[in-house]
Amino acid sequence: MSNPIIQKIDSALSVAEAKLLNAVTEAEIEEVRIGIIGRNGLFPALSKEMGAVLPEDRKEVGQAFNTGRNRFQELLDAAKQRLAAGAGGKSSDELDLTLPGRLRKLGHKHPVTKVIDDSVAIFRRMGFIVADGPEIETVYHNFDALNTPADHPSRDPGDTFYFKDGRLLRTQTSPVQIRVMESQEPPVRIVAPGRCFRRDTPDATHSMNFHQIEGLYIDRDVSLADLKSILQAYARELFGPNVSIRLRPHFFPFTEPSVEYDFSCIMCGGKGCNVCKQSGWLEIAGAGMVDPNVLKAVGYDPEIWSGFAFGMGIERIAMIRYRINDIRLLYENDTRFLEQF
Amino acid sequence: MNISYNWLSQYVDISCGIETLAAKLTMAGIEVEAIERSGGIPAGIVVGEILERKPHPDADKLSVCRVSDGKEELQIVCGAPNCDAGNKVPLATIGATLTDKSSGESFKIKKSKLRGVESHGMLCSGRELGLDDDHSGLLILDSALKTGTPLTELFPGDTMFELEVTPNRPDWLSHWGVARDLACLLDKEASLPEIKAPVPLKNEDTANLVTVLDQELCPRYTARVIRNVKIAESPEWLKERLLSIGLRPINNVVDITNFVLMELGHPLHAFDLDKLSGKRIVVRRAADGEKMTMLDDSKLSLKPTHLVIADAEKPVALAGIMGGLDSGVTESTVNVLLESAAFFTSNIRASSRELGISSDSSHRFERGIDWNMLETASNRATSLILELTGGELVTGLVDIQGNKPEFKPVVCRFERIRKLTGVDLSNSRIVDIFKKLRLNVSDIDEVKCVVTPPSFRLDIEREADLAEEVARINGLDAVPVVPVTSKSVASFSKDAYTGIQGLRDELIALGLYDCLHYSTVSDKSALSDSRFASEDVIRMDNPLSLDLVCLRPSLLGEMLATVERNISRKNLDLQLFEIDNVFCANPQKFPEERLECCIVLTGHKHPERFSAERRELFDFYDLKGLTEAWFTDRKIEKFRFEKAEDARFAPGRCAAVMIDGKCGGHIGELNARYSAKFRSEYPIFLGVFETSAILKAKLESPLYSPLAMFPSTTRDVAFLAAQSLQHQTVVDFIRGARLKNLEKVELFDIFTDEKAVGAGKKSMAYTLTFRSSERTLTDKEVNEAFDKLREKLSSDLKVELR
Repeated sequence: MSNPIIQKIDSALSVAEAKLLNAVTEAEIEEVRIGIIGRNGLFPALSKEMGAVLPEDRKEVGQAFNTGRNRFQELLDAAKQRLAAGAGGKSSDELDLTLPGRLRKLGHKHPVTKVIDDSVAIFRRMGFIVADGPEIETVYHNFDALNTPADHPSRDPGDTFYFKDGRLLRTQTSPVQIRVMESQEPPVRIVAPGRCFRRDTPDATHSMNFHQIEGLYIDRDVSLADLKSILQAYARELFGPNVSIRLRPHFFPFTEPSVEYDFSCIMCGGKGCNVCKQSGWLEIAGAGMVDPNVLKAVGYDPEIWSGFAFGMGIERIAMIRYRINDIRLLYENDTRFLEQF
Repeated sequence: MNISYNWLSQYVDISCGIETLAAKLTMAGIEVEAIERSGGIPAGIVVGEILERKPHPDADKLSVCRVSDGKEELQIVCGAPNCDAGNKVPLATIGATLTDKSSGESFKIKKSKLRGVESHGMLCSGRELGLDDDHSGLLILDSALKTGTPLTELFPGDTMFELEVTPNRPDWLSHWGVARDLACLLDKEASLPEIKAPVPLKNEDTANLVTVLDQELCPRYTARVIRNVKIAESPEWLKERLLSIGLRPINNVVDITNFVLMELGHPLHAFDLDKLSGKRIVVRRAADGEKMTMLDDSKLSLKPTHLVIADAEKPVALAGIMGGLDSGVTESTVNVLLESAAFFTSNIRASSRELGISSDSSHRFERGIDWNMLETASNRATSLILELTGGELVTGLVDIQGNKPEFKPVVCRFERIRKLTGVDLSNSRIVDIFKKLRLNVSDIDEVKCVVTPPSFRLDIEREADLAEEVARINGLDAVPVVPVTSKSVASFSKDAYTGIQGLRDELIALGLYDCLHYSTVSDKSALSDSRFASEDVIRMDNPLSLDLVCLRPSLLGEMLATVERNISRKNLDLQLFEIDNVFCANPQKFPEERLECCIVLTGHKHPERFSAERRELFDFYDLKGLTEAWFTDRKIEKFRFEKAEDARFAPGRCAAVMIDGKCGGHIGELNARYSAKFRSEYPIFLGVFETSAILKAKLESPLYSPLAMFPSTTRDVAFLAAQSLQHQTVVDFIRGARLKNLEKVELFDIFTDEKAVGAGKKSMAYTLTFRSSERTLTDKEVNEAFDKLREKLSSDLKVELR
């Protein structure tokens, strides 16, 4: 058990240290100083008690007295310096904290790229892998192999861009389906994002150049229920858990049964608003069970394999997702537009 | 196609209501694109009887009437001149909502006070009810009407549905066709009024009436002759039908053919028999260059690929597409030849497209018609003509038939249907759906049935087509949502997408904005890149406009257009990039399709700053540094920049980016010939890279180098050198001296000052860092190495040490 004087010094110093560390004004520091080394402070008082210390303790207590006083002086000086230095940092001037920060800016991802990247990520989580194909395509891959009749209107030079050598600019990402199936045996589970071209006069909702993402899943016993489930999972991942999906019968040459699919309106939740034209549904794209003729064209046996395909317009999704009202904004690259994404 | 609710209700019970009906149609694959109501009267309007009229005490033009609504007497203030006692007029009761047709605004009838007198409703004019444009006074109703009768009973109105019919279902292109499918969806019966073959009054000789010269293009042609018709306006009911789907009534015979077309889906054509030369019909291919003037006054020059309906001399109609100007039924027509025929679908489609003429008729013929309906339609139209024009049928049905289309039976395996649709349906339910659709079902057993489509279902040829019918009629809402199982198909090869996505993410991390341009560009844009000659550019055969005829050979042209556009909009500080496909016709230069990457920097580096940094502009070294940072991040080891000449860049301000000894792109200041017209004074820096070179050079797994454990020592060396001495030469020289333990060489100062260092000279100063991985270096050994280098710099590189 150490001498009570030493104990007093220790406890007084730890209290003083805490006070000094927290002091924000000169007066607070002065108050502490007076309490410890002022005329009626701790140390002058203790020095009067020193006489009463037992001789065998005197050396130890004396030492503690001196180190204690020196230590306090150090704390005192440090506190005064800290206060003099302002906010407690190395520099002394107070900062205008409201000045603009020195930005370390990242760039911006184009909304079309964003939707492609997010869509691919979602489908990858569901086991799809990414495939691609050329933008200058053969008539065979873009139409023939996709069961499109020879006089189908979509083949018309009024709708499709052709080249002198008879090839064309792909009008859809569906030829990637054919290329993948030609190059591998089933099962197949791919998505293919990419650029497509149609001979549409540009306006707020039409563009000669646009992007699609294609999906194809071929396996044993794939059904419409799988198609619906995967598209619903996609819709919910992209637009939130409350979105539902609706299939409507439709017609495409390369699928049978064919459907169009709608997402419940992300604006009104399906109650009906201007965006969904009061219907509660947003028309997204087309899909269906791969037509047996398409499977035959690539050498798959439709008795063994079945599957679905879907395709959707990226610009359409981006316009819904970011409430963009004119497709042409996507191709203008105004930096004030790009900065919003 | 347009469908009228009232008309449709003639064939099937659709009392389910308009909204339900629209939803049913849409969910059955007949998408309702628009719903238009017409002539309807709002609820809450009844026949009111004015019992008494008194003048308003405080207003000259107003009257105070006592009106009965059939149940009680109401006091109503009215401003109309004809609100006399005894009149029966429309009474809008409290709570009814009227819509002003001109403004589109709605208002609700409330109890109100007009100049101090209470009014409990409103008496209406024709215009106020949307019935007509008369607003001169109240609409006076028939005095025989019972007071209190709702006006909706007197003016039921109609609703028109605008339907999108998919090309595989021509059988939906009529009211009857829609009704037939709808019956199945609503679980009701659909029925047509009885249509009998009309009996001719006499049998004129028809041996030479019709000749079909090309039976392939015209597999069936029927005709009837009706004499002594009286051409007149159609009766109200007929006009109403046509008007209800937006068709203009013309005269009774033409209206009947249009009515039957829209009722049964089969196109008919009525000729004025007396205008047919030789009073006969010849179905043949047109002669080359044969001329014809159409109903719409357009003049055609025909080819043998076009099928025409001709008389003894000349074409009188373009088969299945449109009638000619001079052969149609007019007010003076007395004798009519009624055509009901079948034409080869592809031929009609090709001719219609080639000649740029389409009609309700060609729309149906090019999709395919119902072989059996052809005769029914003729019967129906003939009966109506006899009934409405007082004409006399003088021939039987002249019917020239080629090969009848065959409808092959389709085997339907129930399990297969369940597997494709994902819906657990019983065999009997499947069979039931087929039967309701009027498909012929036979040979039903435990596992399958055989389905033979009727003549109106041209789309059913395979089992998958039957699966579609089952899914459609059972409802796609009934397809269950099942857990998504990721039984993925493994692929371990790297896809191109991942590589490009990586590049994009890196450039975005370096602060650049991701851009997207059209691939289809003008010649001017395509050829703005001096690397490409006109013959290197791929051009479309049928561009949309002559302005956009090329596939871009380079990203440059459109990127510069974006720069110019942004500058003109006062966005002067730009950091942009694009990675996308470009195209080349010359395989000696580039592959047909390849990926390029284009980067642009211009303007202020820190536009958001307020201090001296605010004035810092991008320069060449920012683009170079960005490239270095990018490549370093990809762990590309062997790259360097070499001086290059390239017309895209300002002379002396272009570097080739060499990756592993091969050119992977160029960076530099944009040539002024592009930028001169831009309204910006800031220099523009351009980088164009071969994306594949950058993708290929990436080092996926860099090897770890041990961290230095011992301290380093530095020595500075400064010297005066000729202005032409390049930094890279100095670094290569120092590196080439192979000094022991030399870790780094860094330039820390460079300046020119004629007074201080002399003309044509510059001062360069480098810091050399020495470090050993084994021990702390001594001053002595570092000094030895450093002194050796100083000597060499002086003697071999000929610089003046300072």
